[in-house]
Amino acid sequence: MITGRQSVNVFTLLLLIILGGCGASTVTVQGSYPTPNVPPKALTLGVYYPDEFRNFVYTEFTDRGNEEYFVHAGNSHIELFNTLLPAMFQRVVVLDNPAAASTAGVDAVFVPSIDEFQLGIPAKTRLDAYEVWVRYNMRLTRPDGGYIADWVMTAYGKSSQGTFSSTERGINDAAVASMRDLASNFALTFDQIPEVSDWLRARNNAVTASRAN
Amino acid sequence: MIRKGWQLFEPCARICLAVLTVMLLANCTTTTIDQYRQGDTGIETHESVVILGRRQGAAYETRAEFVECVGDRMGDGRDGVNIVPEQQFVDALFPWFEPRTAPMRSDDLEQLMAQPLVPEKISEFGVRYIVWLDGETQRTNEMGSISCAVGPGGGGCFGFGSWEDDSSFEARIWDVSSRTAVGTISADASGQSYMPAVFVPIPLIARVEAKACSSLADQLKQFVQGG
Repeated sequence: MITGRQSVNVFTLLLLIILGGCGASTVTVQGSYPTPNVPPKALTLGVYYPDEFRNFVYTEFTDRGNEEYFVHAGNSHIELFNTLLPAMFQRVVVLDNPAAASTAGVDAVFVPSIDEFQLGIPAKTRLDAYEVWVRYNMRLTRPDGGYIADWVMTAYGKSSQGTFSSTERGINDAAVASMRDLASNFALTFDQIPEVSDWLRARNNAVTASRAN
Repeated sequence: MIRKGWQLFEPCARICLAVLTVMLLANCTTTTIDQYRQGDTGIETHESVVILGRRQGAAYETRAEFVECVGDRMGDGRDGVNIVPEQQFVDALFPWFEPRTAPMRSDDLEQLMAQPLVPEKISEFGVRYIVWLDGETQRTNEMGSISCAVGPGGGGCFGFGSWEDDSSFEARIWDVSSRTAVGTISADASGQSYMPAVFVPIPLIARVEAKACSSLADQLKQFVQGG
């Protein structure tokens, strides 16, 4: 026999379940990133992750403008760069504050940021793949904050729509693929960025000259 | 009386049986294999093959499951060859075999092998041949419809559906020791599938991709062994 109080509890529970089903889903991007096989540069690099980068969340809206998915990608990006950079440079120092660079004994400070994040899901694109496209702004400064280079990088990743796979899994896999794409591009093109290349050449010449003296 | 009922049913059963037989025969798969050899091949017991899927195209990408299927089949049997799992190789050689950075032509292999750390990593796996798989399976000519209904007294499906699957895959084989392309094998398979539904859907599926996988793998195995 269900009492009045019990029926109120059951009703509340049902309402919560229904409302829960209507809310936006959260995807916290998780993946593993391999260490790049590139010779490390003889540099001590400071890296500063701004708060907007650390806590980056992309919100995907429905056609009616309601929040549909929250994609938390900040931590995964930090994990990516913390794997990538120590393989590319002789020493990497993570800075809590860019002002600390001048006392940290670093040669340059690298500051990544996410400018734009786009998500394509099969229900909207009518394609049979999840797609993630990201535009980054990469900045390299001297320890005193002076300009070395500022460049844009884009990354793209997609994952197939599996028959029994969830949308959250598809978004995660596409995001991880895009971050691998970023890592591969960054590792192979870092010293081909004209300003970076000029700075590296000037720095190598200075080191050679000081050794000769 | 029972016999009379069966006599009425018999022509219908015969027709159904005939239709079913025709469909079973019709859903056979046709496979065509083409081979083009550019150089001599052969593989020692300590050497291995890595099979990689091409994923540069925007329209499609070679499915990892197909790559795995070809690898498993090549590694099977007493004459099986050593296969390096795709993901393990791509991760170990990161970032050189990612969709954006992977060598597209055999000429690029020479440049890749000139990169520091790359030749050592490849030789750690004992890789003699890199096989690039490129292709997909497309579904065409989808016809018919099946309706299913459920009621208090039970449920069931009625109708008929059919479709055609076409698999087209190409394998390019690069010899790591000579840094050259040694051949190309292509596999094309097609087959018609049927799905009659009388209360229960009866799938009569043509296993087109599986057939393309086994035919391509057998040919590849023979090719790298020098046959």
